[in-house]
Amino acid sequence: MVAFVMIAALGLMLWSGVKEYQRRQQQAALQHAPQVVLVPEGQAPPAATADGAGAAEADPQPLKGKPAPAFTLTDLNGEKVSLADYKGKAVLLNFWATWCGPCKVEIPWLVKLRDQYKAQGFEVLGIESDNYDDDPKGLAAYKAGVVKSATGLGINYPVLLGGDTISKPYGGLDGLPNSFYVDRNGVVTSQIVGLRDRDEIEANIKKAIAGGGQ
Amino acid sequence: MQASLVIRRRFNRCVILSDAPQARSRRTSRVTGLDPRRSGFKLPAVAAALVLLLATAASAQDFSGADSTQSSTGAKSMVTFLFPEQVTIPAGKLAAVDLHFRVADGLHINSHTPREKSLIPTNLAVVEQDGFKVSAVDFPPGADYSFAFDPTQKLSVYTGDFVLRAHLTAPSGEHLLQGVLRYQACNSNSCFPPKTIPVAVDVIGK
Repeated sequence: MVAFVMIAALGLMLWSGVKEYQRRQQQAALQHAPQVVLVPEGQAPPAATADGAGAAEADPQPLKGKPAPAFTLTDLNGEKVSLADYKGKAVLLNFWATWCGPCKVEIPWLVKLRDQYKAQGFEVLGIESDNYDDDPKGLAAYKAGVVKSATGLGINYPVLLGGDTISKPYGGLDGLPNSFYVDRNGVVTSQIVGLRDRDEIEANIKKAIAGGGQ
Repeated sequence: MQASLVIRRRFNRCVILSDAPQARSRRTSRVTGLDPRRSGFKLPAVAAALVLLLATAASAQDFSGADSTQSSTGAKSMVTFLFPEQVTIPAGKLAAVDLHFRVADGLHINSHTPREKSLIPTNLAVVEQDGFKVSAVDFPPGADYSFAFDPTQKLSVYTGDFVLRAHLTAPSGEHLLQGVLRYQACNSNSCFPPKTIPVAVDVIGK
């Protein structure tokens, strides 16, 4: 009996040692992971990751070149709005939030760019990204806050209320602003996380209007 | 500045926050603290060795999680609760306990008193318990911060390490301070949805 227990004990020690070694190896691998991401010439560097601490993302634009996921959301007037309603137009899906400072910097630019390119078949859909799917009691106050913020920012394009139904197919939307430029065929031509300068935004709009030609 | 607490619901003392590394550490240390002489085994020496080995193996596994600030997906936490894990205070007397947190490099979070109403403040919610009372929490003033793209707007934020001071009263014995820190973080060009992290401290009233 004693021998059996001793053998079991030794086996356990060995198992524990192996597990600890494996853990240390994993930690060492993480610490020695590549700190530099090589980006092909002419391509934008990857956007900051959700944790903001420099972890590399495999693909900063996973939806680029793919059909924009279909959705139907409610606007601030309670009307249903679908992406399909804008078939044949170039659309900027701009995910934002009332608490997002960088979003509030670019929104006035989007208002002006929308006016500038509207005649060429361009539209902006502002999608407020807070999720009140599980909090119907808080929805009225949330909606009032969005209306106030949208009015204050001078938004002249449709503002839709987001939630899980759209955030999941669009990749989680962890960082805001998060913009998807969609061409007339419904294909995503650019996917940008974070604030970029006005010229870059305008260039992406032109690319979407042109039909996404590279 | 002092802020009233958000008291959410009553918790039974024996509930352990499974997501809190600190809670896991403590649970492990209780296991390692078993007295083999009271374990009831007939082969005391060998059995005690086995119990200790089991505990050591479990300890190695649990502490590997406690050491890390990374989630299961590999993403680092934006804000981490650093310490203390355990404090001793005079039983029945009001005492101040400093809770230390760290904001990850490159990020900032709104202070408890952001300058714009639409911004989400940092808050601490503490679980209410019988006989063990957290009467208030002091939040530090925020530091000025401006985004490079809008230098005229001054935000009130926390970056790096920051400390909240909890004022609490505990009767004699061991208690678990359980709370949740809610924050909303941004980096230099993006903002992230509000998140929470668990806060757990063993409080011993003596």
